[in-house]
Amino acid sequence: MPAGALWTGIVCPQGALQAALRLLPAMAPATPLALHDTVSGRARVIEINRAARGLGVHPGQALADALAIAPDLESLPRDRKAEARLLEELALVAYRYSHQVAITGDGVVLETGGSRRLHGDLDAMLDTLADEISAMGLYATLGTAPAPAAACLLAHTGQHVSEMKTLRETLSGWPIHRLALAPAELHKLDGLGLKSVRDVLALPRFERERRLGRALSRYLDQIHGREQTPLVYWQPPEAFCHLLELPVPTIRSEALLFALNRVLEHLHQWLRVRDRALSAIEIELLPEDRAPKIEFSAGLGQPGFQRDRLLEILRLKLESIRLSSAIESLRVRADSTTEQRPPQADLWTGTNVNDAWPALIDRLVARTGEDGLCSIAPCPDHRPEKAWKWTAPGTTGTGADTPPRPNWLLPEPRPCKAGELRLIDGPERIEAGWWDGQDCRRDYWTAHDRHGNRLWVFREYKPRDGWFVHGLFG
Amino acid sequence: MNVTNPLEQLLAERNDLWRGRRRRPGNALATGRAALDRRLPDGGWPRGKLVELLPERFGAGELDLLLPCLAELTRRERPVLFIAPPMVPCPQSLARAGLDLTRLLIVREQKHAFWAAEQCLKSGLCGAVAVWPNGSNSSMVSDRAVRRLQLAAENGDAPVFLCYAPGSSPPASLASLRLAIRCGGHIEILRSRGGETTGTIRLHADNVVPLVSGSARA
Repeated sequence: MPAGALWTGIVCPQGALQAALRLLPAMAPATPLALHDTVSGRARVIEINRAARGLGVHPGQALADALAIAPDLESLPRDRKAEARLLEELALVAYRYSHQVAITGDGVVLETGGSRRLHGDLDAMLDTLADEISAMGLYATLGTAPAPAAACLLAHTGQHVSEMKTLRETLSGWPIHRLALAPAELHKLDGLGLKSVRDVLALPRFERERRLGRALSRYLDQIHGREQTPLVYWQPPEAFCHLLELPVPTIRSEALLFALNRVLEHLHQWLRVRDRALSAIEIELLPEDRAPKIEFSAGLGQPGFQRDRLLEILRLKLESIRLSSAIESLRVRADSTTEQRPPQADLWTGTNVNDAWPALIDRLVARTGEDGLCSIAPCPDHRPEKAWKWTAPGTTGTGADTPPRPNWLLPEPRPCKAGELRLIDGPERIEAGWWDGQDCRRDYWTAHDRHGNRLWVFREYKPRDGWFVHGLFG
Repeated sequence: MNVTNPLEQLLAERNDLWRGRRRRPGNALATGRAALDRRLPDGGWPRGKLVELLPERFGAGELDLLLPCLAELTRRERPVLFIAPPMVPCPQSLARAGLDLTRLLIVREQKHAFWAAEQCLKSGLCGAVAVWPNGSNSSMVSDRAVRRLQLAAENGDAPVFLCYAPGSSPPASLASLRLAIRCGGHIEILRSRGGETTGTIRLHADNVVPLVSGSARA
């Protein structure tokens, strides 16, 4: 550990509860909430919110007892996967401030001594970090210490210590239950009458190791910076693929959108850290009772990431899907990414029109479907029905030079009665298609019908015989 | 008013004269037909306004009427949108009229026609938007949808052309301009806000004045 290293710990108070609520739209703060887990075969309350505490529910209580006291209590099962994901999200944010990031048991530590000059000073840097975390909708506390193991402990109390001497003074007064120790170890220390860190340190090292075990002794050395803490540095994953189980299966698209919004937040951080630009996102909705999964993807005309824009596209996609059964979980993948290129603003106006146009196209395509929005292009074919094609928006092709054509073409030529037509211009002989088996021979005329409309009609000789309307002038 | 009266013409060219109910020519796009420009209150298609077209029959000449202006917009690199046209616009014919086909986008979906038009107008990026509500079936267009379209148009500088299906009964007009198109290229101004609504204009299909020479009078 280089001299001057300083570590910052980030912990989420009531992390398990925050993780479980992360994918649920906000509830009224007055709703009593609890999180339960199975502890030695019984469902017990582990974390509660303020409203539940007001009703007399307390952590450690059996769930049945809690429900007896507070029948309105909403209780969610503990979701360890969601907790792990919450820590990953924190690590992803932290990774932008330091390359030395590690996930410890209940929080994240990062080395901040090396990057404090970049941000002016440490306080400014911690402020931006805290703002960013709260913008993600999380409540977290930060603590700083010269030793990583101590940084996690100080994060719980929100203390910031930069000197080793001050750290030792601060810790010595602490009661032992503030240390990250197993309940059995705490019980043992308590049984020996060791109430505070000072009491434990007062024992000679040899005696301490013999009576309390080497692991505990080493832990004390680590939090006091006398020994290095072994850390496994965290790296952002290569690919973004998340399977999220919704806490409550839902059929409402707003609830799905809320969960997707959270994922997009995570994705945004991931893209920033990996310096990638998103070009398409694939989403699978997995319904309960093994109904077939629903897959859809949303592409962006121009690689990038704008959460509002993407969220709007997903909203439009979701609106067009009819959900028949409640969605239990969803998988989000972002396989299609490209290198990030910063957007270029117009030099004179400073506005980025180049970006707004693809956004409009994306929005239209999301609602009207892939074929819903297109451009039209001429094709080099003499047969008028094959002389045009739909193309991708904003593209066109080249066709052969033709005599004047009407403004409108009927999708299919329609038979008509020759007696009602007055031919005024023509004929234009078109004889083509022998190479693809759709051989035709026609004479095209401009004609007036009895209402005075100018029509584009043809007399066909081959393959069928008769008069047809093919287009309208005007 | 007789437009051939030289005194009228001289007075009409002055922007600093207040002449009773006559408005000063507003912000408009040249229609490409001087005869029509003179009769429209703003001197052309009003920017950021709704223009309603009521063709007598489909293909009575509405596209011919719009093409010169649309072509000019695409030449200025402004995109033009056709929303839910009931037939296929012929690319050869459009290109012949000078339209840059890479700037033309077509929304083929009938269901979301008004929504798409609104999005395009709100973005402020399009040069012009032409909407064919309900394609060829003559069901009623709600006045609320038309009102929304007009509000969206006011966000930008693009005119929006609403081409009603022949035989449909359009809602009470809120638009600044409503034109009927008769077979044979006669145009009747049914309503024009701040202008006069008299008589028909006889336009021949081919008396289009090229927009490059701005001072040309037909």
